[in-house]
Amino acid sequence: VEGTAENDGQRPAGADLIIPFLALAFAGYFFFSIADLQWEAKSNGVLIGTALVVLILAQLVRMGLEVARGKANMAMTPLLEPRDVLLPRVALVAITITFIATLPWLGLTLGLFLGLAAQLWALGIRKRKQLVLIPLITAATVYLLFIAVLDSAFPHGPVEHAITALIEMFR
Amino acid sequence: MTFDFILQLFAANFGYWWIIWLGILLGIVVGILPGFSPQNTLIMLLPLTVKVPPEQAMAFMVALYCANHLAGGVPAILVKIPGSGGAAATTLDGYPMTQKGQGQQAIVLSFTASVFGGLITSIATLALLPWLSKLGLYLRSVEMVVVMLFGLTLIAVIAAKDTLKGLIAGLFGLLIGVIGTDHIYNTPRATFGFLELYDGVPLAPALIGLFAISEALVMIEEKLIITKEGRANAMASNWAATVEGLRITVDKWWHITWTAFVGLFIGIVPGAGASIAAFVAYQQSRLWSKTPELYGTGIPEGVIAPESANNGVTSGTLVPMMALGVPGGSTAAVMMIVLQYQGMVMGPRLFTSNPGLAYGVFVSMVVAYIFMIFTILPMARYMSRIVLFETSYLAPVIILVTCVAAFAERQYLFDMGLALGFGVLGYIAHKTGYHVTALLIGVILGPLFEQYVVRSLRLSQGDPAILFSSTIGNVLWAMLVLSLILPPLRQRYQLKKAKHE
Repeated sequence: VEGTAENDGQRPAGADLIIPFLALAFAGYFFFSIADLQWEAKSNGVLIGTALVVLILAQLVRMGLEVARGKANMAMTPLLEPRDVLLPRVALVAITITFIATLPWLGLTLGLFLGLAAQLWALGIRKRKQLVLIPLITAATVYLLFIAVLDSAFPHGPVEHAITALIEMFR
Repeated sequence: MTFDFILQLFAANFGYWWIIWLGILLGIVVGILPGFSPQNTLIMLLPLTVKVPPEQAMAFMVALYCANHLAGGVPAILVKIPGSGGAAATTLDGYPMTQKGQGQQAIVLSFTASVFGGLITSIATLALLPWLSKLGLYLRSVEMVVVMLFGLTLIAVIAAKDTLKGLIAGLFGLLIGVIGTDHIYNTPRATFGFLELYDGVPLAPALIGLFAISEALVMIEEKLIITKEGRANAMASNWAATVEGLRITVDKWWHITWTAFVGLFIGIVPGAGASIAAFVAYQQSRLWSKTPELYGTGIPEGVIAPESANNGVTSGTLVPMMALGVPGGSTAAVMMIVLQYQGMVMGPRLFTSNPGLAYGVFVSMVVAYIFMIFTILPMARYMSRIVLFETSYLAPVIILVTCVAAFAERQYLFDMGLALGFGVLGYIAHKTGYHVTALLIGVILGPLFEQYVVRSLRLSQGDPAILFSSTIGNVLWAMLVLSLILPPLRQRYQLKKAKHE
């Protein structure tokens, strides 16, 4: 699924620049953050960062030559295609962000149930039984494994509080 | 060490069958779930392992460790999500086999290669322990720097179709791996102001994001993971596919043997680990193959080599721990803590003061592998059915459940966000040909690489020429350069040859 889609014989190579630019920006930030440190604290970063910058420059030159020779253009097509799944893909990321952000209030079990139901819906699942059962089974399994068995410090919400209260009642 | 003594150890270990079986089951679960590492599981179980006798604790820990290495290949083959870094190379041919509807066969091959690779190397270690333990002494910090760069280069050359992109991804990962405080002055570097990054980038969110989340974001482009023909094959698969996998295993016994030894030797080097071993074995397998062009398209050898090697590593990492008191990896380090808590002193004296434990570890390993094949092989047929689920059901479960698993290691909500961030980065890398495996291995090796670089430079008072000062190191540098130059030369030669024909 690499950037191989053709457009008038030209390879859409614009998206190929994202990782190099991210790496370049990060290397710059890294150099900035280590500027005042002792040499032992920065030697490794300088070695790796310099090699990385050299390789990125080589990649930029290579891509520049491809564009100049008309073999590639700066379109971002590979990243955005196929268009019909672009919106569901963005929705998956947005729902995951919401899931993480609301976890302290909703708790793991309810948050996961709602998040999973929303993601299934975003991917076109409309059968109510599936929209309820899959998240329910998954959330219950995750509750049992992470909270009941492993006693992980996941945020507790209404479901966890209710279960704890129920257990206390029967003790 | 007499034959009778070894037989007694075997009898004792078979007596711990229930402990070993428990370790195997737990190891399989932990191995299949990305983000769960054996060392973290062992840390969680410390209250249990420090209470039982050391021989039993060791049998349990070894079984869990070996089963974890074995099971990491299952999600790598079925959904292209390695359960651990050591299974990353298994995705290269395992996943294409699944797409062709040969998932069951690939899983059987991964199990048998893992078990026989692990068995062979445990037996070899048992016999050659006094000599093997000295091997690690020849590699000091200078050589280790080159070993790691060599490993990363191999990954860039093998995994990425474009070597330059692979190298950029690998070095980017290596730089990400340096985030956090430095080892000497504890000053934070490139932490973006997050306290959660002071200890460095946690591996579980990186693995989960780069492989699980990014793959889930890509897989929704198709209705099923597998092709139409693959689905038909998978639907029709029965026990015959398991038998076929076993037949291929017998056929490729030599392949399993030598790639397992690659894993063993790399495992002995402290810090090199299963991820490098698996890639080196894969690269060597492709190098010596008569059909190297078929690697990456879904062939049995491409599954056998990394799986056999990453299980060969399991015996290897324990060698320096037992013989020198230097753990070969993080899991070995946790095991060492448990044994030290019990009053055991690791090092050469262990073989005279407590031979039952020293040799018993490797006997436990042999017994665990024997139990494992009978436990896990029948599961292959049912595990491979997961690929018949539509991606619209699989992707949400993968994204959210692995996000939850990202929390488990350090119990920070921040790590879930980090996993998602890595997921988006992995998605971009995936779509633009910057191989995520190179990125991940870079992140894994980053902190260790820094330790060795700084140690070398301190020895030379800051002079980088020390990196070219040892014979072994220079041989490794030459191999590194050759591994970069030879593939394009070979390709050019083959093109010329094809033109002439």
